[in-house]
Amino acid sequence: MRPFTYVRPTDEASALSFAVQPGARFVAGGTNLVDNMRLDVERPRVLVDIGSLPLTGIEDRADGLTVGALVRNSDLAEHPLVTSRFPALAQALLAGASPQLRNAATVGGNLLQRTRCPYFRDPASACNKRVPGSGCAAMDGFNRSHAVLGTSSSCIAAHPSDMDVALVALDATVHIRGPQGARAIPAADLHVVPGDRPDVETVMRAGELITHVVLPDTPFAAHSTYLKVRDRASFAFALASAAVALDVQGGVIRSARIALGGVGTKPWRSHEAEGALVGKAPSRALFATAARAALQDARPRKYNAFKVELAQRTIVRALSTVGGVT
Amino acid sequence: MNDRRIGPPLDRVDGRAKVLGQATYSAEVPAGSVAYGVIVGATISRGRVTAIDASEANAVPGVLAVLTHENAPRLPGAAEKKENARVVQLLQDASVAYDGQPVALVVADSLEAAQHAAALVRPTFEEEHAESRIEPVAGTAFVPKPSGPRPSSDSHRGDFDRAYEAADVRVAQRYTMPIENHNPMEPHATLAVWQGPDRLALYDATQWVFGVQQRAAQIFGIPPDNVRVVTKFVGGAFGCKGSAWSHVFLAAMGAKVTGRPVKLVLTRQQMFQSVGYRPQLVQEIALGARHDGTLVAVKHDVLSQTSRFDEFMEPAAYATRMLYACDNVRTSHRLVRIDASTPTFMRAPGESSGSYALESAMDELSYALGVDPLALRIKNYAERDLEEDKPYSSKTLRTCYEQGATRFGWTKRKRTPRATREGRMLVGWGMATATYPAHQNPASALARLQPDGTVLVQSGTMDIGTGTYTVMTQLAAEALGLPVERVRFELGDTTQPHAPIEAGSGTVSSVGSAVTTVATKLRDAVRTAASAEPTPDVYTSVARRGPIEVRHDEKEKDDRKRFSCHSFGAQFAEVRVDEDFGTVRVTRVVGAFAAGRILNAKTARSQLLGGMVWGIGMALLENTVRDEHSARVVTKDLADYHVPVHADVPDLEVIMVPDDDPHVNAIGAKGIGEIGLVGMGAAIANAVYHATGKRVRDLPITPEKLL
Amino acid sequence: MGHPSTRVVQVARRERADCAAIDRTSSGHREAEARAQHVHRACDPMQTLSLRALRGRPIVVARAEHDWAPSAEEPADVEALRAELRGLGAALVVRSMGVAWLLGADDVAEPRAEGTELSELDAETGSAALVLLDPAGSVRFSRTLAPRRGLTAALVDSLRAARSALSARQQLPRTISRRDWLMTAIVASFAAVFLEACAPRARSGRGPAPTSPTAPGGAAQMQQPANELDVVLHVNGRDHALRLDPRVSLLDALRERLALTGTKKGCDHGQCGACTVLVDGRRVNACLVLAPMVQGAKVTTIEGLAHGDTLHPMQAAFLAEDGLQCGYCTPGQIMSAVGLLAEGRAESDDEVREMMSGNVCRCGAYPNIVRAIQRARKAG
Repeated sequence: MRPFTYVRPTDEASALSFAVQPGARFVAGGTNLVDNMRLDVERPRVLVDIGSLPLTGIEDRADGLTVGALVRNSDLAEHPLVTSRFPALAQALLAGASPQLRNAATVGGNLLQRTRCPYFRDPASACNKRVPGSGCAAMDGFNRSHAVLGTSSSCIAAHPSDMDVALVALDATVHIRGPQGARAIPAADLHVVPGDRPDVETVMRAGELITHVVLPDTPFAAHSTYLKVRDRASFAFALASAAVALDVQGGVIRSARIALGGVGTKPWRSHEAEGALVGKAPSRALFATAARAALQDARPRKYNAFKVELAQRTIVRALSTVGGVT
Repeated sequence: MNDRRIGPPLDRVDGRAKVLGQATYSAEVPAGSVAYGVIVGATISRGRVTAIDASEANAVPGVLAVLTHENAPRLPGAAEKKENARVVQLLQDASVAYDGQPVALVVADSLEAAQHAAALVRPTFEEEHAESRIEPVAGTAFVPKPSGPRPSSDSHRGDFDRAYEAADVRVAQRYTMPIENHNPMEPHATLAVWQGPDRLALYDATQWVFGVQQRAAQIFGIPPDNVRVVTKFVGGAFGCKGSAWSHVFLAAMGAKVTGRPVKLVLTRQQMFQSVGYRPQLVQEIALGARHDGTLVAVKHDVLSQTSRFDEFMEPAAYATRMLYACDNVRTSHRLVRIDASTPTFMRAPGESSGSYALESAMDELSYALGVDPLALRIKNYAERDLEEDKPYSSKTLRTCYEQGATRFGWTKRKRTPRATREGRMLVGWGMATATYPAHQNPASALARLQPDGTVLVQSGTMDIGTGTYTVMTQLAAEALGLPVERVRFELGDTTQPHAPIEAGSGTVSSVGSAVTTVATKLRDAVRTAASAEPTPDVYTSVARRGPIEVRHDEKEKDDRKRFSCHSFGAQFAEVRVDEDFGTVRVTRVVGAFAAGRILNAKTARSQLLGGMVWGIGMALLENTVRDEHSARVVTKDLADYHVPVHADVPDLEVIMVPDDDPHVNAIGAKGIGEIGLVGMGAAIANAVYHATGKRVRDLPITPEKLL
Repeated sequence: MGHPSTRVVQVARRERADCAAIDRTSSGHREAEARAQHVHRACDPMQTLSLRALRGRPIVVARAEHDWAPSAEEPADVEALRAELRGLGAALVVRSMGVAWLLGADDVAEPRAEGTELSELDAETGSAALVLLDPAGSVRFSRTLAPRRGLTAALVDSLRAARSALSARQQLPRTISRRDWLMTAIVASFAAVFLEACAPRARSGRGPAPTSPTAPGGAAQMQQPANELDVVLHVNGRDHALRLDPRVSLLDALRERLALTGTKKGCDHGQCGACTVLVDGRRVNACLVLAPMVQGAKVTTIEGLAHGDTLHPMQAAFLAEDGLQCGYCTPGQIMSAVGLLAEGRAESDDEVREMMSGNVCRCGAYPNIVRAIQRARKAG
C-alpha cells in the first residue's frame, strides 16, 4: 500500500476542501477502496475519511425516500420503508457480499465500487481501465465473469454492484456536491460505458461527493424484485442478475423497469426490454420477448457466452415473480 | 457409547484455546525485534529476469534489505533435489519457471513498509512462451519416475484389450478436472530466527517439523541438530504444508542478512502460486461388463501435470486397481510439463480425483446396463485385493453400502433421470464408493511421569485440525489407565521424538500406535515400581519418588504386509438443480464409512464432514484458472476461487460403521482425514445426471455446463 | 510386530529437587524396568549447568537477589521474557539460591546445579548481575542490574531496550556481498546494542569489540516514517494509545501492535471472514478497516468475549458441537455468530447458513457451526 495522508473531517465543507487536493479520495466503509489499495490498484495520496460526516439518515420526504450516502448497506436493507416500498433494493442489498461487508459498506461507496475483473485487480496485467492504453488482457483471457453489454474494444469489465442495479430499476437519483455546487443525477446515468476511456467510470468530477440518494415513489417500486444467479449459494458476485419492477393495471403493464447486473459494463437499464412490455398483458411469452430485447446487442466473448442466455432466463424469472406469471 | 470400536466424543483438548483465540499459530509466535519479509513474485510464467531495480524499494523508510538474485547469498544446497522434498527457488539465478516465483525478498521494520517496498521493486523480464494447460502438450507425455511409498505408474493384470473387446456392454469416457488449490485458512507463515552463525529456529506453518528441519539444514549447510522447528498450531494444511516451499528458506535468508528475526506470511494470492496444488487431470476410463453386471475389463489412464523442474504425480488410478473384483485391469499415469509451480498432494491425492472418474464411469455403466448403481457395485464387490493378491486387513464396505442406502432411502430412487421435480427444481440422487489406503510409518514417542502424578506424552507430530492433540491424549490415557485430565500430549517440536509427516490419514495409525505403546510401557514401569496395578493414586505415589521417562520407537506392524489395508465408505448425495439457471445445490448427503477403530466419535465425525464439504467444492465450485496466453493464475483470491460457504452445505450425515481390523496396526485405526472427500465428487456428479439427464464430465459443474 | 526399541529413563526432576533423580539411559526394556525399581533410591545431584554445552548461541546470565523460579513469576512476564529471548535467539540462565535456571524461549525451564564454569564466570565478572556471553562463550558485557518490579520484568525491560536500540540503529547494507553471508551479524549487533542499552557506562569484557554493520555508501537517507498518527483504539474495554502509520489496518493493529492475535488474517481482502470483530457491536472485517477509521468506536475481539474463566455461551457451544477443526477461522466464526444473534434476524438453519456465509471454514466444520449457533441461541 502506498503512503497517504489521512484526514478525518467532521463537516462537509472541510471534506470537500480536502478532496480537491491531488490524489485525494474519500473513504467510508473501505470495503472496496482499502481492498484495491492493498492490491496496489488504488493509490490515493490523500485519504479523506468521511465516516464522521452526518450523512447517515433515512428520511421519508416529499420527493421520495432520502438515503444518506453513509447509510450502511445492512441498515438500508433492513429499513422498514425499504422492505415495504422498495423490495428490489432490500433484496439486492442482501444478495450482495457478506453480512460483515454489508455492515461496513455504504450507499456512496457501493455506487462507486470498482470492477472485479481479475486483470484490473492485478497490477501486472494489461488493463485500459487501470492504465489507459495498456491493453486489455481480459478480452482474450479468462473472461467468464465479464460483461456482454456496453462493452468496447477497450474494456469488457463488468460492474459488480447489486445495489446499483436496483437503484437504476427504481428510478433513483444520486445527489452530489462538489466545488461547483450540488447536482442530481439519475442513477442510470451515473455510470458511463467504457468506450475508449474505460478509466472514466462515472460522470462525477474530481472532488465531488455523493451526499444522498433519493428513491421516488413510483407506481412500480413496490412491485419490484431482484434476482441474482451466482456460482455459490451465497457470497459471490452475480453471473447475471435482474432488478425488475412492473406497474400492472387492469391486466396491462403500464410501466416497467428492467435493470441487469453481472452482464453490463455499468448497471444496465434496458429500455428495449421495458418498451417491449409496456401496454401488453403479462405472459411468459411476453417476458421472453422482453428478455431477448434486453440482450439483443450482447457481445459475448469466449467464456461468457452463457451469460446471454442466463441473463434472459433471469429476466423472465424475475418478471414472472412480480408479474404473477408462473 | 460402549462400543470400543467407536471411541467417546471427548471435546477437543485444544478446543478451549481455539475458541478463546489463544491458540498461537506460526505468524503469532511472539518474538522481540521482529522484522517483516515480503516476497516479490515473478509476473511471467517462463523466462528470465533481465534486470531488477530495487532503488525505489530501498529508499522506503524502514526497509532493511532487498534481496534479489543479484545480491542474495549463494546457497549450494538450494539446487540439490532431495527425496520427498520440493525443488525450491531461492533467488539463486535469473531464471523464472512459474508465475509468482520469488524474484526478490524485502525485509523491513514494519509490514506496511515491506509491502510498500515490495510493490516498488521493478524487475524486467524476458518472457518465453508458456504452457498453461495439459491438453495442447499431451503429446509430450512421459512416464513418471517411481517415488514415495507407492508403486509404479503403470499396472496390468489379465488382458484388458481382449476382455474389453469381448464385453457385452462397454463404457469409455474422458473425465477432466481443473487445478485446485488447498487454501487452508491460515496462509503459510514462517518466523525465522538465527541464534548464532549456524543455529536456526523456525516457527513454521508445516505438517512436518522434521521435514522442514532436514531441508533447512541441507540448504544452509548446517547440522540438522542446529535447526529447531516449532509448530504448535496449524490453521489447516490439506497437503500444501507438507513440503517446505521457498518462502521458508527466504525468511531464514532474510533473517540471516538483516540480523533480525523475520516473519514472512504469504498473501492469499501467493497461496495460489507457489505452495502446490492439485494438478489438472485428464482421465480416460473404459469399462467392459457382461449383461448381468459383472465387470470384465477396467482401464484407467491418467494424464496430469508437473513443473519444468520437479516431478509430482497424482496417483489417480491406484484405487482403481483394487476397488472392484475384475480380472482384467490396466492403469497408467503420464505427466506433461507445464509452466507452473510444482503440484503436490492435496487432500486424498489420487483417490479423490480418481474416484470422480471411476465412479462416474461406473454410474454410466449402470445406466448402460439398466441396473441400479449400488447393485452394480455390490455385484462386483472385491472380497480380496486382486492387484496385491492379498486379503484385506478388514473390509466392511458392504455394511457401509447397506447402512448408507437405508439411511438415505436409496431404494425409493427412481431409475430414470429427470423423474423427480419439486417446483422448479429437478431432484437427483447419486452415489459412489469411497476408499483410502491405511498407511503406517515409523514413529516415536515419549511418556514421562511428572512429579505431580500426571503424565506428559510427546511426539513431534502435528495437529492440522485433525484432532491429534485430542486422540493422542485419549490413547495415552486409555493405555495408562488415567483420566484424560491427567495426561498432556505435546507435539510440533523437533526436540521431541521423531514423527512422520502429518498426512495421508496416517497420524493416528503411526503416532497413535507409538503413543499407545509408550504409554503401556510407562504403565508397566509404574506397575513394577509400585508392585501394584497402577491406579491414579499409584501414579501419584510413584511420581513422588522421582519422574520416570519412557521412549519408544514404533515400527510398521509386520503383520500388515500380509494384508491390503484400506478404509472404505459409501457416499449418497441428493442435488436440486434449477434448470433455468443451471445452478446445483446439494441438499442432502449421507456418507457411511468403515475405517477401523474410531478413537473419538466427535472429532472423527468432523473429519469426515470436512472431507464431504470438500467434495461439494470439488464437484461444483473449485477451479484455478490460468490465463491461456501468459499461463499466470487468474483466479487467485477467495472471491474468484470459490470454496464452499455455509450456504452451500446442508446438514451432512455421517455414519461410522464399526470395523474391526486386527492387522492394520497396534490400535486398529485406519485414518479418516481424507476418505470423506473420496467419491463425493462422483456422487454429486451422478446426482446431477440423475436430476437432469446431463452427464458433465468436466468439473466443476458450473451453471454454463447445464444451461 | 517388529522390534520396537524402548528406553526407560530416570530424568532430572523439573522442580527444585530435595533429592534429584539420576539421568540414566538403558537400551533394553527389561533392564530399564530393573533400573526403574531403584527410582526412589537414586539420589544423585542435580545436573550441572554447562555453559560450554550451550555454546553456539548467545546466553544471558542473570543473578537474582532473591529466590527466583519461573513458576513463581507472573506468567505474562515470563511469556514476555520468552518472546524477547526468542527474538534474540538467546538462552537465559538465572542464578538463584544456588540453582541455575536454564530458560530457552521454547523450553520448559530447567533447574541446574551451579558448576565450576559459573564460578569461573564470577571470577571474571565480579558481582555483576547481568552477563552476556556471545556464541563463542566470550563475555561481551556485564553490569549490575537494579530490578524495580522484580528480576523477570527488569530482564524484559533490558532486553526490550536493547532490541529497540538495535532496531533504531539498524543500517545494514542494501546489497549483500557473499563474504557477509556467514558473518555473525545478529550476535555482533545484539552484543553491541545490548551493551549500550543496558550499561551506557559500564563497558567491560573481553574478546573482539562488537562490530557495527556499516552503512552503504550513498544509501538513501533514512526518512522519518511518513505522517504517523496518534490513534487511540478502544479494544475490549481498554484504551490503547498507539502511534500508527495510517496504512495499518485494524487487523494488523490488533495482531502486530496489541498482541491480540486471536483475530486472524486469512485473506486480507474481506473474502474469508477470519478477521471478523465487532465494531460498536456490529460484525465487520477488520482487514478492510484502517485503524484510524475506528477511533472512538468500541472494538470487541475474541479475547474480549469470555468472562474470566467462563466461556461466552457461543464459545462454549462451538466447543461442545466441535464447530472447529484447525481453529483458524474459529474466532471469526464466533464473532460473526455473536453478531448474528445480536442482529436477531436469522433463525432457521438456512437463515443462519445464509447469514454466516461471510465466514469461510476450509476444514468444513459448517454443519457443526450451525448446530453451535443454534445451541448458543437456545442457551440465551
